[in-house]
Amino acid sequence: MNAKAIAILVLLGATLGPMAQAQIKSVEMRVEGMT
Amino acid sequence: MEQHLGRQSGVEKVAVNLLDGKVEVIPKEDGQIDPAQLMKATYDSGVTVAEMDVTARGKIMKDSSGNLSLQVGPNRAFVLVQNELSKSLEPIVDSQTAITVRGQLYKKSTGKKKADPSVPLKVLILDVQKKE
Repeated sequence: MNAKAIAILVLLGATLGPMAQAQIKSVEMRVEGMT
Repeated sequence: MEQHLGRQSGVEKVAVNLLDGKVEVIPKEDGQIDPAQLMKATYDSGVTVAEMDVTARGKIMKDSSGNLSLQVGPNRAFVLVQNELSKSLEPIVDSQTAITVRGQLYKKSTGKKKADPSVPLKVLILDVQKKE
């Protein structure tokens, strides 16, 4: 693998990595009228 | 309600506490869950949502109107309600820094029976848990 390909992979990892981990971890609700 | 919420897209687990009326929804690993859909499903099961909080990891972006938003997925972002904590996030706007926050998506107003589904949910940040 040449240096250019490695550079592109590093750049893609830096760009897409954080977004790939973006997520909702939990949703909490307080509800009324539950029996 | 537990079964109804459990059938919603992206939901891994639902934990209901009958004593204090708290419901926790854990999404599947991809985290692609829609809080507005959960709220609708909760109403559909016959109970009223008094408050909805979310814990999420994402990036802080600024839209064309100058509003800050928390991007929690490729196609999902929540506009942030302006407060001291949201202002403290200005330095990481549009950066690669990901943060984990706990925020309030909805709180029932006095006398109001139901959330208006046409109004997009906004996040009032309550706690910034992690910056990385």
